[in-house]
Amino acid sequence: MSPPVPSDLGYVPPDGGWGWAVVFGASVSVGFAYTFPKAFTIYFKELQDFFGTSYGEIAWVSSITLATTYGAGPISSILVNRYGSRPVVIFGGLLCGIGMISAAFCTSILQLYICVGFITGFGLALNLQPSVIIIGKYFLKRRPIANGLAMAGSPVMLCTLAPLNQFLFDNFGWRGSFLILGAILLNCCVAGALFRPIRAAPASVKPQNKTEEEGGKDCCEKINQYLDFSLFKHRGFLIYLIGNVLMFLGFFAPIVFLAPYAKHIGIDEYSAAFLLSILAIVDMIARPTTGIIANSKWVRPRIQYFFSFSIAFNGTCHLLCPLASGYTGLVVYSIFFGLAFGMVCAMLFETLMDLVGAARFTSAVGLVTIAECCTILLGPPIGGELFPLMDFNHLSASDRFKAVPKIKIGLFWMAWFEISKGKDPQRSMLTILNLQQGLQSSEDKWAH
Amino acid sequence: ITSYILTNIFNESCFFNTKCVSGTSMEKNITLDSATIIELSCRLDNKYSHLKSLQVTWKRGNETIRHIDKTENSWSIQMKILDSSKLGSYSCILKGEEEISAIFYLQVPKIEGKEKPIVSYEGDSAIMICKSSGYTPIAWTWYKINGSEQTAVPLDFEGYVINSVSANVTHLKILKLTKEDDGVYWCEAAFELGRSKGNLKLKVLSLMVPLKPFLAIVAEVVILVTIVFLYEMYSKKKEKCAEDEKEFDQIEQL
Repeated sequence: MSPPVPSDLGYVPPDGGWGWAVVFGASVSVGFAYTFPKAFTIYFKELQDFFGTSYGEIAWVSSITLATTYGAGPISSILVNRYGSRPVVIFGGLLCGIGMISAAFCTSILQLYICVGFITGFGLALNLQPSVIIIGKYFLKRRPIANGLAMAGSPVMLCTLAPLNQFLFDNFGWRGSFLILGAILLNCCVAGALFRPIRAAPASVKPQNKTEEEGGKDCCEKINQYLDFSLFKHRGFLIYLIGNVLMFLGFFAPIVFLAPYAKHIGIDEYSAAFLLSILAIVDMIARPTTGIIANSKWVRPRIQYFFSFSIAFNGTCHLLCPLASGYTGLVVYSIFFGLAFGMVCAMLFETLMDLVGAARFTSAVGLVTIAECCTILLGPPIGGELFPLMDFNHLSASDRFKAVPKIKIGLFWMAWFEISKGKDPQRSMLTILNLQQGLQSSEDKWAH
Repeated sequence: ITSYILTNIFNESCFFNTKCVSGTSMEKNITLDSATIIELSCRLDNKYSHLKSLQVTWKRGNETIRHIDKTENSWSIQMKILDSSKLGSYSCILKGEEEISAIFYLQVPKIEGKEKPIVSYEGDSAIMICKSSGYTPIAWTWYKINGSEQTAVPLDFEGYVINSVSANVTHLKILKLTKEDDGVYWCEAAFELGRSKGNLKLKVLSLMVPLKPFLAIVAEVVILVTIVFLYEMYSKKKEKCAEDEKEFDQIEQL
């Protein structure tokens, strides 16, 4: 008796071979998408002086880029559903390049908003989603490792982009740097070229539906083909969505505030910057390691618990931060924070894939990112607002603020699992059993 | 009256051990921007008040200034600082077994320029900013250093816009840069007690400069993409050949 097909893809993913090239491409894409808005902040001072604007107006450039990258998620998903990952990523890479190259010739801050904010942001959105999606198409058994490795691209790229940006700026000024950055972003096209479509392109699955489309289908059903809104009926997906949205409120704030907090308690600029480097390096190692741990046969079936644990760990880390005294305390905090941050990021998409399955993942990731979009933008400014209000004991209580949503979320996740198991034990056990069986069957296949 | 005090803590061994090589020397920088009366004091820490055989002199350069013995172990001078001639270094020298001195440097406020050069392009505009932290200058003047000559050229003609966003900050905007605009610039702040300079460097590049790395990277991208696609076509052909061979074998078997 042949065991049931473990995934809902309709085929068995290779779990290796060309998949590793895809992982490499994905890490490059993901790296650019996450780190570009952060690394771009180096240019702020110069741009502020050149255009004679306030810091807030310049900071909007990064915010618009971030908002577009996350907000254009559903559009990205629709395009991938229709055309597959490869054309979308290549087009995204071209957009990024064009955006930055045109930014080099900007004469007003508004033009910068459009070129860097919207065009490059949209290009990055077209990079991020397809990269994560295609991993689900190439891997099943080793998917957590693949995800961990792909997400490791982000800290690696941050460590390279930040000093590179500084070097470019010192030697070419901001216009020259934008021009060269445009060329560098074109490398996303190389990453895209590596995304060889597997099986037939997803569009071929829909040809029958296409003809029916012409026959005047219900508008909602038509939209559903491209973006699976039925996901909103999926309880696991809803919990993931709400949990994520809340988590992102406090997720990035610590990174934004770490250096200012260090300077606030009297540490010099370079040591404060070094804290972020420690964070990035630990993050870099933590992501693939988490992937490997998540892939082990003890953790894989319980990956959702592992994810909630890492979120709770994150929150505890921040709650304990005010206890950190002096520079060594902050170094220890940075190490743990890097570890926790890496763990959460490595499994961010893996858990979603695990929940909804690889076929519906395309739509799921689009819907999740647009929801995260708002909270990501609101997080640091809210933290900044709370800073003076909660400044008791002369401690930066923005750190305490950061911790609160995350502890909340961690507990939320943990609570979910208890409830989910209690309310619908059959369904959750079934998914776990299916996965185990699937893993077993693919292991047997490999054995032969 | 503003008072400035330097407390000397002498190295004990210097007094009891004749083999001590050098005494301690202390310095203090004092920033003054407008006319004022100041008092400078040198004070000996209470520990050493038993050392009576101390000769104290206040000097400015070679010129000795009469001082007041404020208390048993502090000596001070009072001065009216009205113009730049009164600025400089004032030292109090205590002669015991060894000579120890403390120096006060009276100076005008320092101006922040920029350490790293500002990079801009021909035809573009550039902004140079100078800030005076804490003290408000009476006037700002901009100079450009001409080539190898050290003579400064004041800039108040066409193509240069000098703006003051606030009294402490000055902007020099150069529209339509050319190669000749490349070089060192001074922003000079005039205070009641003198002038102070900030240094800025402007680099004007031609558009060709960033174009070279740009084209190199674009070429690299195109080459890599081509390689990836060619490899894909090649491996697809290999797969097809392998499949055709398998079919051929199967037909042969029949």
